[in-house]
Amino acid sequence: MTPLDILVAAINGTPAPRIPIFCNLLDQGARELGMSQREYYRKGEHVAAGQLKMNRRFGHDNVWGLFYVGKEAEFFGCDNILYAEDGSPNVGDYVIKSWDDIAKLQVPADITAHPAWAETATCLKILREEVGATHPICAYLTASTSLPALLMGMDKWMELLMTGPADLRDHLLDLCSQFFQQEVAAYRAAGANVLVYSTPFGTHYFVGKKRFESFSMPWMKRDLAPGGVGGIVYYCGMAPFNEVIPAVMDELDIAIHYISPLADLAVAKSTIQNRLSQHGGKGLTCGVIDDIKLIHWTPEETRAEVKRMCEIGKPGGHFLFGTGVMPMAIPEANIKVMLDAAFEYGALP
Amino acid sequence: MLDRIIKDYNDAVFETDKDAAFEVVNNALANGLTAEDVVFKVVIPAVEEMMSDITRDPDANLAQHFMTAQIAAEVTEKMLLKFAHPPEIIGRVVIGTAAGDLHSLGKRIVMGCLKALMVEVLDLGVNVPAEKFVAEALNYGADVIAISAMMVHTATGENGARKVRALLKEQGLEDKIKIVVGGAPYRFDNELYKTVGADGWAADGIAAGKMIVDLIRAGKAS
Ligand code: B12
Repeated sequence: MTPLDILVAAINGTPAPRIPIFCNLLDQGARELGMSQREYYRKGEHVAAGQLKMNRRFGHDNVWGLFYVGKEAEFFGCDNILYAEDGSPNVGDYVIKSWDDIAKLQVPADITAHPAWAETATCLKILREEVGATHPICAYLTASTSLPALLMGMDKWMELLMTGPADLRDHLLDLCSQFFQQEVAAYRAAGANVLVYSTPFGTHYFVGKKRFESFSMPWMKRDLAPGGVGGIVYYCGMAPFNEVIPAVMDELDIAIHYISPLADLAVAKSTIQNRLSQHGGKGLTCGVIDDIKLIHWTPEETRAEVKRMCEIGKPGGHFLFGTGVMPMAIPEANIKVMLDAAFEYGALP
Repeated sequence: MLDRIIKDYNDAVFETDKDAAFEVVNNALANGLTAEDVVFKVVIPAVEEMMSDITRDPDANLAQHFMTAQIAAEVTEKMLLKFAHPPEIIGRVVIGTAAGDLHSLGKRIVMGCLKALMVEVLDLGVNVPAEKFVAEALNYGADVIAISAMMVHTATGENGARKVRALLKEQGLEDKIKIVVGGAPYRFDNELYKTVGADGWAADGIAAGKMIVDLIRAGKAS
């Protein structure tokens, strides 16, 4: 079976030789090709080549159309990206500096005609041609309620959200939602089939239960309505979200969840499993390793954690092993140990 | 009367209603409460109580955390202007996010809590070079340099807290100025702060406030 078949089998709960194994190696591609981050991320060819090389070496299942999350701000006019040699590029300057700037903000009429899309499109094209038939291709899409953090900074966004004028806030959210709807359609059309919906504000941890229901949920419905939830993965930037899983499954119809390492995996798994019948028996619990600890874990510690996760996740099927955005500081040996352990403990009878 | 004021203020803060909180404070002043009483008998205990409530409440959240710190800092700043005598300041802190890091929310919450605890804070902004942390700390007479970092590479890299430590050492300032750190990587790995040469870390704003106040007091006592 190909990695793509294995993923589909896991979602459907049909037989497969092992669980799907995702490993998110983004910035590591630059090192792989012996390039600086700036040079690496300048070209879609590089991002595709770096990933394909790492996939051959490590054998994990997935590849990414994502360069770095800050790229989404480029569509709104951000032209200052702060590169680092030891970590992910970051938005270097906010396009919204004061509330007045919100009125000037524009969503491109067609994001695929925007220069920021060109290299992503090249990368996706290469990935589709090389491994599209065999490997899942992931996309990263920031929810309307979280995208303002990239455009104005988290503290200013929280301030606008909590104390600002509702019409201004809603106008900004409306633009972000329009952007999301275009973005998800563009990625789908370009061949991405695992669509990671990044929605940290879709947790009680960020906004509490009341605001989750009155604010986050309606905006998420709006983001997802036109394109539907096919291939959508619920992900909260590694923030825990077990308590919203029932609502997300019932109201948004999303049955694939990327669980925070800070959350109880067993609880997540049973919550999802108990609701699978409402989703035609399809769904997936993605167990996510704490990849910040991977920086210094011994091989024994890494193996023990992978084993623990697989033991919780495997019974009953519908389980995937995954990572966060793997920090560059993780030694390569630890990546190997983790993946070897995932293949070993993730084998199915 | 004081009990009523405290309760109304706490309710307003818990509901993240800034206007209501200010209304309680203004009514209290109109009814003869002094600015000192507002800060020491209402705001500071409220921050502490709120935070412990928030820690206990399963539905506690970041928005509440943010607003509690924000309201407390704003009320305290306004009240300080009305104090009969300048208040006793516990100490001074410069705070910023590490070089290469533009994540601003954690820093803002910590600042709010410090202000409400009578610590003077100078905000150096985001993406602050190590040299600037040290130079500004000297200028400001800071007891503590507080560095917020949300990403592993800005937390543990060569240009963040490690470099600040190296500069303090180089300039013989380690006795005078302490380094504290916080942000996501430290919450994922509670031992991380030691490896970057920090004297302390905290998982949230109120714990940060307490830890920093203790550190300043210990420094002054020795
Ligand atoms: C929300 C979020 C986002 C949002 C908003 C980002 C933004 N601009 O703020 C979005 C979805 C856009 C995003 C994007 C990215 N993110 Co992000 N994100 C988060 C998340 C879920 C929460 C961060 C947050 O705002 N927390 C709220 C604040 C208030 O909490 P806090 O900062 O920790 O502060 C508290 C304490 O830590 C403490 N504290 C804070 N500072 C200080 C300082 C001192 C001195 C003290 C004592 C205490 C203290 O008190 C504070 C108040 O209680 C975290 C995961 C997590 N669970 O924390 C990941 C996380 C920070 N992100 C991460 C990454 C990698 C990214 C990206 C770089 C991904 C990429 N490859 O592009 C991008 C970068 C975007 C950019 N800026 O260009 C990683 C970083 C780790 C790493 N691998 O290096 C994390 C940890 C997730 C993970 N485990 O993979 N992210």
